Amino acid sequence: MEGGIKFLILSFSFAVIIISFLIGWAAKKKASDAQSFFGGTALFGPITVSLSTIAAVASAFAIVGVPGIIYSFGNTMTLWMLSSGAFAMAYLAIGKKVRAMAEVGPIASLGDISDLRYNGHRGIKALLSIVLFLGAIAYLASQISATSTLFAHLLGWDPIMAGFFIFGILTIYTSLSGEVGGVLTQAFQGLIMVVAGIIMIFSFFSITGGFENVVEVVSTAGKVTADSAGKEITKTFSPGMMNAWGVLPGSIAMAWMFIPILGTMGQPQVLTRMYALKNPKDMPKLGLYAALGHMIVGLFAIAMGYAALYLVGKGTIPPLLKGDNAIFAVADHVGVYAQLFVYAAILAASMSTASMFLTLSSNIISRDLPSALGKKLDSKKQIQVSRITTFVIGIFAILFALTSGEAVAILGTFGWGTLMSATFPVFITGLLWKRASSQGVFYGLITALTLNVTALILNRTGFKWPGGLPWYVNVITAALVVTVAVSLFTKGATGNELDERIETVIDL
Amino acid sequence: MDIGKKSTGIILIITSLWVFITICGWNGNWFVGLISSVVLMLLYMMLGASKNGKLSKKLFMYPLLSWGVLWIVGFYFSKYYADVFAGKMPNFSILGFHPSFAFTILTYWIGGVLTLTVGLNIFTDHWLSDEDWDNFKEKIKAINSAKEEC
Repeated sequence: MEGGIKFLILSFSFAVIIISFLIGWAAKKKASDAQSFFGGTALFGPITVSLSTIAAVASAFAIVGVPGIIYSFGNTMTLWMLSSGAFAMAYLAIGKKVRAMAEVGPIASLGDISDLRYNGHRGIKALLSIVLFLGAIAYLASQISATSTLFAHLLGWDPIMAGFFIFGILTIYTSLSGEVGGVLTQAFQGLIMVVAGIIMIFSFFSITGGFENVVEVVSTAGKVTADSAGKEITKTFSPGMMNAWGVLPGSIAMAWMFIPILGTMGQPQVLTRMYALKNPKDMPKLGLYAALGHMIVGLFAIAMGYAALYLVGKGTIPPLLKGDNAIFAVADHVGVYAQLFVYAAILAASMSTASMFLTLSSNIISRDLPSALGKKLDSKKQIQVSRITTFVIGIFAILFALTSGEAVAILGTFGWGTLMSATFPVFITGLLWKRASSQGVFYGLITALTLNVTALILNRTGFKWPGGLPWYVNVITAALVVTVAVSLFTKGATGNELDERIETVIDL
Repeated sequence: MDIGKKSTGIILIITSLWVFITICGWNGNWFVGLISSVVLMLLYMMLGASKNGKLSKKLFMYPLLSWGVLWIVGFYFSKYYADVFAGKMPNFSILGFHPSFAFTILTYWIGGVLTLTVGLNIFTDHWLSDEDWDNFKEKIKAINSAKEEC
């Protein structure tokens, strides 16, 4: 890449980081109490919340990893990226109940909702915090690792320097402004992703002339081989890549359809945004705006995978060394403006997800876990402690992500499915079913934690899950079975023990 | 539709469906699992969208049931055309897409938004009306006041 282009990318990316910082800095005035600092509770309108939600949901993986998987295996992953109806599904299923909890008591975190629902059950709060923390740190470390390495490679910097530059600034504004700044900066970053998406979708049509040409090239290209740096690389095409399921096993297509759709309602970045919405009656609008934004980002990712397949199949560019290079190969082919927006979109996607999970993990360590252990601080003290914790976790995460490659890869096992395995027993089941008992949810969470860790170990040993089904489907199912089975025979936080206000929420 | 009294039964069906879908994934019956997952999602939405245990019939017909039917039909045709054109290039396209994938685009993606998202916006009051919300807040206020007095 030429020096001038590198300079332009650096300037554009620098502008994204600085604007994010300024938004975060300005937002710190709004972070006046625990609810606003930790939860941004009932503060924002549907446009801001929708952009923030899609930005936090679509991580750097959506922009880089998904085109790579589509390049490698065809349409299997498109089922995940075309899940734009999931927001409305989440709001229909659980939205008004989560938002209503903010009227019952001071809600600043998911742990607060758990406290209200299960009469302050410490075990549930502690286990929920641990599982969410594992998922949050995994997301945070993977965003830092991938983005710092990418920009270090691009600019010729040391990865640690790139990491501290990008995520150090993010850590500072997040620690100052908490979730208020998080929501606002993520909304800005979401807007960047949507604009980049629109530009790159147009680029896709200009490169390929439309989807029909991609189908034809992929169906007829067969094998394409080329030398790259003295190494022979072959890309095998097949017509099956272009059907609805791609060439991965059907069980994966099945899981990649229902897990993202259902799982959206169990992601902290969606749940916490439900109570960040000022007026609950705006939730349908929030679903609409989030769906429209998500449709653009989803089509963006798919178009990049398709464009890479077309360019390689036509022999315009050589086969890619690895799938993750797909989006960069397309951007390089299109030219400088595409490169500017692609790198900005990756930066925006990783920063928004990282800030979301930085505040989540910091809230867990500084607020929810101490509370679960019986230590309560006043609101001002909580904010002070959280600011320091955010800063420490941010710095630790940068160092960990960039110096512990294998550990980051191991931790990367945790993610979407891990978070679902904790939130489905506690919130989805608990707010839809009055008979979900505290004992049932507690044992469901023990199952989730135990099986997540077991799955991590098994995956490292090369264990093959039955039918090729992704491991987390097994874990979520087991956690839910235990939750419901134990609930049927226990009574904690149900019947007479169920807070009248919570009963009203479930009936709403 | 009064589903409040059936909530335990619905939760048991939901849990059984999770188990069934997982087993389908193990055994390679992934398409049966895929269709079952639509029923699973429908049940979650029915429970969540009901008010005082009652689900509006309008809301049930559209968006919920319309969505479920649309997705099941869409998945059926996705599989049908994937099987018909297995290992070869399709001899026609729909909007430029492989016929199998076109149903993903038209029913799963766009259809999902046009039913669930647009339907929720059209029938907002059947999901949560101003009156429902005001009554809810008053009830919470009254309970909190009673608790404080106690």
